[in-house]
Amino acid sequence: MSADNEPLIIGFLCNWCSYAGADMAGTSRMAYPSNIRIIRVPCSGRVDPLLIVKCFQEGADAVLVAGCHPGDCHYNEGNYYSRRRFAVLRALLDFMGIDKERFRVEWVSASEGKRFSQIVSQFTEDMNRIGARKAG
Amino acid sequence: MEADFTSQIREKARELLEKGTVECVIGYETGSDGVSARPSFIYNPSEVERLVFDNTCSHNLVKYLLDKKGKPTAIVVKGCDSRALNLLLSEKQLQRDQIFIIGVVCPGVVEWGWNRRSEQFQKRCDLCRQHTPLVYDLLIGTPVTEEPPPEFTDIAEMSARATEERASFWREQAERCLRCYACRQACPGCYCIDCFVEQLDPEWVGIRIATGENLMWNTIRAFHLAGRCIACNECERVCPVNLPLSLLNRKLEEEMLELFDYRAGMSEDATAPLITFIKEEKLGIGE
Repeated sequence: MSADNEPLIIGFLCNWCSYAGADMAGTSRMAYPSNIRIIRVPCSGRVDPLLIVKCFQEGADAVLVAGCHPGDCHYNEGNYYSRRRFAVLRALLDFMGIDKERFRVEWVSASEGKRFSQIVSQFTEDMNRIGARKAG
Repeated sequence: MEADFTSQIREKARELLEKGTVECVIGYETGSDGVSARPSFIYNPSEVERLVFDNTCSHNLVKYLLDKKGKPTAIVVKGCDSRALNLLLSEKQLQRDQIFIIGVVCPGVVEWGWNRRSEQFQKRCDLCRQHTPLVYDLLIGTPVTEEPPPEFTDIAEMSARATEERASFWREQAERCLRCYACRQACPGCYCIDCFVEQLDPEWVGIRIATGENLMWNTIRAFHLAGRCIACNECERVCPVNLPLSLLNRKLEEEMLELFDYRAGMSEDATAPLITFIKEEKLGIGE
């Protein structure tokens, strides 16, 4: 949670689809909350679980990973791996006290600017509802 | 039974060393307290009398095979340890033809410490589904078929608690962690030459003494064994502050069973779930 009591969301966006989708939201003048801090990665399959856990450890309230829709991965299969990996990681984090809702994985294509802005708005709203995470 | 197992192990070890089939036999011997077993490395046929097998033989010796690559070695394994062998064989860390496996049908090992042994089985043995080794060249004992006990009752209890409660439970546990990495050293699945925890650039886990860093270590240690942990529970046994690491490991084991119907170390040509995929599968992610 940042100083102004706004939830802090870290977003890992794949370069080929979701980052372009976020760009599309921007160029189309669609508003979405500034709570998300975007980090561009080559592929959702690049997102090491270490990065997610590190975000939470450093005080993020939530983490979003967004990549190409299954079947559309620029590297053919990166998102299939990340899908499995994050299904397991989310269950582990939930077990260790980081609510399932705080870690989301979404598929956003380059043309889905609207969908991206909706996802971020909804995510921010959800985080406001369940409140700040205690540090640790 | 113990004396019988011991004599059979000694006999085989002598034969293997005399013939020169193997260079070393890795087994158990009685420690200097005269009560509990410790790992033993026998290179000479005249030393085989040191070998024993009793209910304090809890070490998973498979870890030592990683230091014996390229050298023909015999090893004594219990049921749980044999799953570690399968894991390392499937990950191409060991060569099957270099290893002579003396499998022991293990009735379970007990809680023990310096100069004492209790009559109480270790928790992992109460939950054991693998008394008979899966892979062996010589089997000692008679294979047993037992109805496996319910596995995940404590996991379900933990999951039923509120998220906040779980968070504070793990924070309290992490506070006690010394980050001595004994869990890693004892684990047959932890064989990376450069562990993430020792990387300096990027520095994933800082050296400072802090709960957050400890939590980071324990989370990722568990995750790196997702679909690989073979439930020998050595990590928990060697932990000097008794962290309940098996809760994390078995949570992941449960998850692997639920999502991928997979149990680690059951065969030597298995593919771990996280290094493969099925295009059409639905995992509740991004749907």
